[in-house]
Amino acid sequence: MRLKSNSNINGRLWGWDPPLKSSYDAVIIGGGLHGLATAYFLARHHGMSRVAVIEKRYIGFGGSGRNTAIVRANQRTQENLPLYKEALEMWPVLTRELDFNLMFYNCGNLNLAHSEAALKAMRLQVASAQIYGIQSQLVDPEQCKTLIPALDISDRPRYPIYGGMYHPPGGIVRHDAVVWGLAKGAARKGIHIHQGTEVTGIGVKNQKIVSVETDKGKINTSRVLNAAGGYSAALSYQMLGIRLPISVLTIQAMVTQPLKPLLNHVVSSGAYHCYANQTLKGEIATGAHMDPWPNYTNQSTARYIKHQAEAVTEFLPCLKGVKFMRIWGGLADMTPDMAPIIYGNDPIKGYYIDCGWGYFGFKSCLVTGKYMAKFMADGTCPNILKPFTLRRFEQHRLMGETAAVVNYSPDN
Amino acid sequence: MAFTITCPVCGIRRGYEFRFGGEDKGPMPPEESLASETWCEYVHMNNCIAGIQKEWWFHRDGCGSWFTIYRDTTTNQQVENR
Amino acid sequence: MKRLNQLPTFRIQYGKELSVNFGQKRCRGLEGDTIASALYANDVRIFGRSLKYHRPRGLYSLDGECSNTMMAVDGIPNVRAENTPAVDGMNIKAQNVFGKTPDFDMMRFMDELSWAMPAGFYYQTLHKPSRIWPLAIKHIRKAAGLGILSPDFHMRGKFDESYISTDVCVIGGGPAGMCAALSAADQGLRVVLLENRPWLGGYFEYRPREYQKGVPLYQRARELAESVGHTPNIRTFKNTAMIGSYHNNLITAFQRGNKSDIFTERYLEIRAGSVVVATGCIERPLLFENNERPGVMQIGCAHRLARNWGLLPGKRAAFSVGHDLGLEAAIDLADLGLDIACVADIRQDSYDSNLAAELEKRNIPFLPGWVAIRAHGSKTVNAVTLSSINATRRRKLSCDTVVASAGMTPVTGPVILPGGKLTYDNHTGFFLPATIPPQMHVAGRLLGLDDPFAIETSGLLAGLKAAADCGKPVENNLKEMAKNQATLPGPTRGTKLVTGPVKGKETFICFDEDCTLKNINQAMHRGFDVPELIKRFTSAGTGPGQGGIPGHNLPMYVAETGESPDRNPKPTTVRPPLVPVYLATYAGSNHDMSKRTPMHDSQVKAGGKMERIGVWNRARRFSSDTSARKEIENVRNNVGLLDGSTLGKFRIFGSDALKALQRVYVSDMSKVAEGKVKYSAMCNEDGCLMDDGIVVKIDENDYYMTASTGRAGQTIEWIRYHTRYDGWNFHMVNLTDAYGVINMAGPNARKVLEKVTDADVSNEAFPFAGYREFLIQNMPVRAMRLGFVGELSYELHVLSSYMQSIWDLLEITGKEFGIQKFGLEAQNILRMEKGHVIIGSESEQRTTIHDLGLGFLWYRNKPEAKTVGAFALKDTEHQKGRLKLVGFKMKESGTRVPKDGSPLVDSRIRGYVCTARYSWALKEPIGMALVDDDLCGEGTTLNIYEDGCKGKLLSAKVVSMPFYDPDGKQMRC
Repeated sequence: MRLKSNSNINGRLWGWDPPLKSSYDAVIIGGGLHGLATAYFLARHHGMSRVAVIEKRYIGFGGSGRNTAIVRANQRTQENLPLYKEALEMWPVLTRELDFNLMFYNCGNLNLAHSEAALKAMRLQVASAQIYGIQSQLVDPEQCKTLIPALDISDRPRYPIYGGMYHPPGGIVRHDAVVWGLAKGAARKGIHIHQGTEVTGIGVKNQKIVSVETDKGKINTSRVLNAAGGYSAALSYQMLGIRLPISVLTIQAMVTQPLKPLLNHVVSSGAYHCYANQTLKGEIATGAHMDPWPNYTNQSTARYIKHQAEAVTEFLPCLKGVKFMRIWGGLADMTPDMAPIIYGNDPIKGYYIDCGWGYFGFKSCLVTGKYMAKFMADGTCPNILKPFTLRRFEQHRLMGETAAVVNYSPDN
Repeated sequence: MAFTITCPVCGIRRGYEFRFGGEDKGPMPPEESLASETWCEYVHMNNCIAGIQKEWWFHRDGCGSWFTIYRDTTTNQQVENR
Repeated sequence: MKRLNQLPTFRIQYGKELSVNFGQKRCRGLEGDTIASALYANDVRIFGRSLKYHRPRGLYSLDGECSNTMMAVDGIPNVRAENTPAVDGMNIKAQNVFGKTPDFDMMRFMDELSWAMPAGFYYQTLHKPSRIWPLAIKHIRKAAGLGILSPDFHMRGKFDESYISTDVCVIGGGPAGMCAALSAADQGLRVVLLENRPWLGGYFEYRPREYQKGVPLYQRARELAESVGHTPNIRTFKNTAMIGSYHNNLITAFQRGNKSDIFTERYLEIRAGSVVVATGCIERPLLFENNERPGVMQIGCAHRLARNWGLLPGKRAAFSVGHDLGLEAAIDLADLGLDIACVADIRQDSYDSNLAAELEKRNIPFLPGWVAIRAHGSKTVNAVTLSSINATRRRKLSCDTVVASAGMTPVTGPVILPGGKLTYDNHTGFFLPATIPPQMHVAGRLLGLDDPFAIETSGLLAGLKAAADCGKPVENNLKEMAKNQATLPGPTRGTKLVTGPVKGKETFICFDEDCTLKNINQAMHRGFDVPELIKRFTSAGTGPGQGGIPGHNLPMYVAETGESPDRNPKPTTVRPPLVPVYLATYAGSNHDMSKRTPMHDSQVKAGGKMERIGVWNRARRFSSDTSARKEIENVRNNVGLLDGSTLGKFRIFGSDALKALQRVYVSDMSKVAEGKVKYSAMCNEDGCLMDDGIVVKIDENDYYMTASTGRAGQTIEWIRYHTRYDGWNFHMVNLTDAYGVINMAGPNARKVLEKVTDADVSNEAFPFAGYREFLIQNMPVRAMRLGFVGELSYELHVLSSYMQSIWDLLEITGKEFGIQKFGLEAQNILRMEKGHVIIGSESEQRTTIHDLGLGFLWYRNKPEAKTVGAFALKDTEHQKGRLKLVGFKMKESGTRVPKDGSPLVDSRIRGYVCTARYSWALKEPIGMALVDDDLCGEGTTLNIYEDGCKGKLLSAKVVSMPFYDPDGKQMRC
């Protein structure tokens, strides 16, 4: 009762358990989406396949398998827009390239405004997207209702709906599929994925990376990418003494029991701080809350599942008649300006960082992997990644992805 | 999780009554001694310890004190002073 | 079908009839019926169709662990028929049925296509060629999901919530749970007891087997329940499903209301000193071909159907079991009239030989070492094939019921959720708690106990341990009880068998997701070799029933195959809620808390359009004209009144109060002069504007200060945070709610004020930026002359209780001077004409006070104060490449007002419009924008790109601010 081997070794998607070699051209810490994508593109675009991905648990254990799976390109600033635009265009391309269905469901995203101020913020986002050739438009409450018939657009809710921002090119992607597809692609190009392997140290000599120590043995290498997601800041500090401006918070999400089609688009609301979308399986996925203090627990809270039910049924009252069946948490590495840190070769040559993604790690994984691979291959930062420098914090140049002060840092 | 914190004034209370105030980094260094990098180290950079750390909390829905506790960030439980 | 004669274990009441509608069919039932039992009594066997293959599904566990019996009831999808009471007149529909009744489903051909849908089918197909995927999505969506919810659905009922504090919380009202509750209560503790079923009794409740001479188990259950009921310090919640278990003994649950309850469902949050988990076991499904065909059911289902509801599961049943409960049920059901074809037992030995003898007495063939491998029958069961475990012999028997169960599975969710860890126990075949969170104890069957006395004693012991957690001196009792326990039988040896010799093509390990053993094999073959990954790849255990069916079979099966690198079976993660819960129930009463100013009612009465601004309700305007033109013009021409009570107000005093002010305000606060107001700003460490306000010196080391509305909640926290290392002596009092604020502004403001107070309020005696305290008709007032909207204006801080009186007095007195109320909209536009910024509207998180043109507020020569933000202000003072705030007007007259938020562009985005409005004073549009610093020179052209403009830009030019009365004559006169 075995399927015939049709690909790869014994038909396994991402190969066998390769032996840990004593040296690799590059070592990627973290078998999540960013690490796997970078590995894949190192091999595909730069001919570097002597690369190891080191994963403590199993691939996709962390944020990669716990995120909202929402993709979109309507960011706020022009430093971010081109990156996310390209990211959005990559889903179908990679589906073909990896010969693995990433299940990009292009349903479009509707973001609700519950005040004049929110409408103004959306106008900036919509117009900026349009300037960059990204489809996005403002819609009035009636149009919101047409898009999502379940919305309550009356005056009854605590925060009535003033309008919305509709972004047709967005949607959702099956996050596990991306993990497995990238792993498959990388493994086929000869990259070694070491699951169940823990990095225990990083060797530096003369301000240069020389090795990575793991619980399975030492690896000599001159390039290391820290793509450890929620653990990247802890790892950077513990192993290299390099501190990062990051707070690691648990973000929670949940799903209801599956229903026949009810929501045809992703819908989200800033005032209620939540999103809802219907997965291809029919579940309503909703979430977004984080308790505003650092922790590494991945645990869900009693308070939040209740709060979420209160919030989401305010603007989607029919959902009172469905049941939550599962809540989970994942780690989000938040920066002071809600933009990631992509940096390398400073202060240690060969040390690269790709972290601080907060809410945005999933949508951006393919494009970041692509350019991070270029960065690691060339040693110079591609222009599109330059705005995400670690140095922006000491230069007093926070990015404008969020206009409001963030609520998880003590500094507000 | 159902986090609780022991406030030095009010005793054991629900975690949601409090506001997190960052890792304990000591007082701000004197202005004259600062360069942009050292300022940034103090203001923005964190140790992000996965384990026990000393940190500040404010009893917002209570007495209004700032105080420090030790907490294990991997379990999100307050622990005894080490 | 005919019900059995009255049994003492019945939960139905003969004579009290009801009827429910199942599609077109009217089904008669009795009071006490669940939907499931009522339908079953009316010969309904197929309750719905499965998700993927549209296979018929029916009663299986009777506790609702899977989607088999989820039905649409009165428009609500996915209702668990097995534990929802039948109510007269209910309309019930089967789900996922294409056709009129679940007996005929037009999609049933899907079952024949299962070969074409291996595990991970979607991932590996449907994207080639790429254009088929969008089409496939449509079909996948239609096929997916079970229930139908109308977008207009309105949930009826009352949803309550309750927050309970108790000493001991016992989860599970079976014998162990009741004993634990009784022994803890006996120590004088408050106990909360939660039971999912509508009655207490659990494992004993329906069984006629002897507890002791002459006392059947069900009678013992009733005795215990009675004791619990008579114990005043035990609060029992029946019909209550425990759903969450968290650190520090926080337990969440929800209760389904009875007819007499004031709620439909009630959310419970229980904080306990100690928790006892006595959740018992569910049955581990036996895996064989067609193991979910209607007619296949678990032991408890068949037995309880007869004992609680008087319904024999069928006419002729074959048993394939692995636990003595199965033998016991077969004997009892035979005595009740069921024809038993045979009892196959997975176990070769270790069964209770007395029970085997009883079977023999009744001529029921008993087959140790045999197991069911296939159920036959296209819609419902008509035969079963049994095989010896070693696959050497087979036998096919006709029957309409297969009672199948592989063994028991402990319900350990409450232990795992707060951090308990399980390990596989070879003796019981259970995943048993190896580490248990502090102040939590386990008891009863989930430990593998089957002996009634052992179960009860373990409950008593757990209750004592809980009492010890709560500080009761029970050491001796504990010792005694532990000794008792040691004399009683320990955990029973359990079966490990998951599946007999089957191929697995139609062997369902997860019913909800239609996932077969073959699918699991396929997943392992693709490299998904740990249960957690298999779960993700095959979806097994992710359906409406979560891990209820596959829970422990999956890891045991994976371990058995030897494919996994991890030889120790590990169950997949369990997540809350342990039982699915309506969002309505979680949402409960959904309190909305917001604040009202002392003027709220009169503002509403006067036609104020109220809006939620942060925690407050405020009047946006007093007419339907969104431009608020009349209110604006009246302030410029006559005089207006604004309720500014939401302003943050604080007293800060003590010998170090000034030091604290120097720390948080950027200006030199030692220059605060008596009788004067000092305006300043607070920055964060990045030098960005956090708040602005005024400070007044009331006395030596005693100041009064204001904060903006949105910030007031954090002001004390902020000041204390930034002085937390200093140990300074100062105190703060939040006076925000103690004082209301009236802003009276306009050229006639002084005329009004003069008429209501004896104090000298002339421009000489009370000049601009002055602070005075005086009486208005014996009511004390703190008055300030501020810029505010750019006219002569007084800000009156009045004790909240006097607000209405003073406001009314001013309105009556001011009538002759044209006094009118104005709202927030008018205030914002008036202030904008003066170039005032609103934090968050004209500033971003990254905007420093230099960027806003407020750098003059910063006093650089106080390094000893360690002013918050000072370093960044120094660093950014002359920094290039920043966004700066500028004022603008439209280049050509007659151009309309550009929309807020519109970007400014040349070859790239150069900034954006923060706020733009038509100025009634200037008779043209004005606006403020954040722009790249090289564009902030006066006269520079700004090109405005509005959404949807398709490249047609509006043109504006940078002008100096303030727009209105740049010399400030109006406010100083």
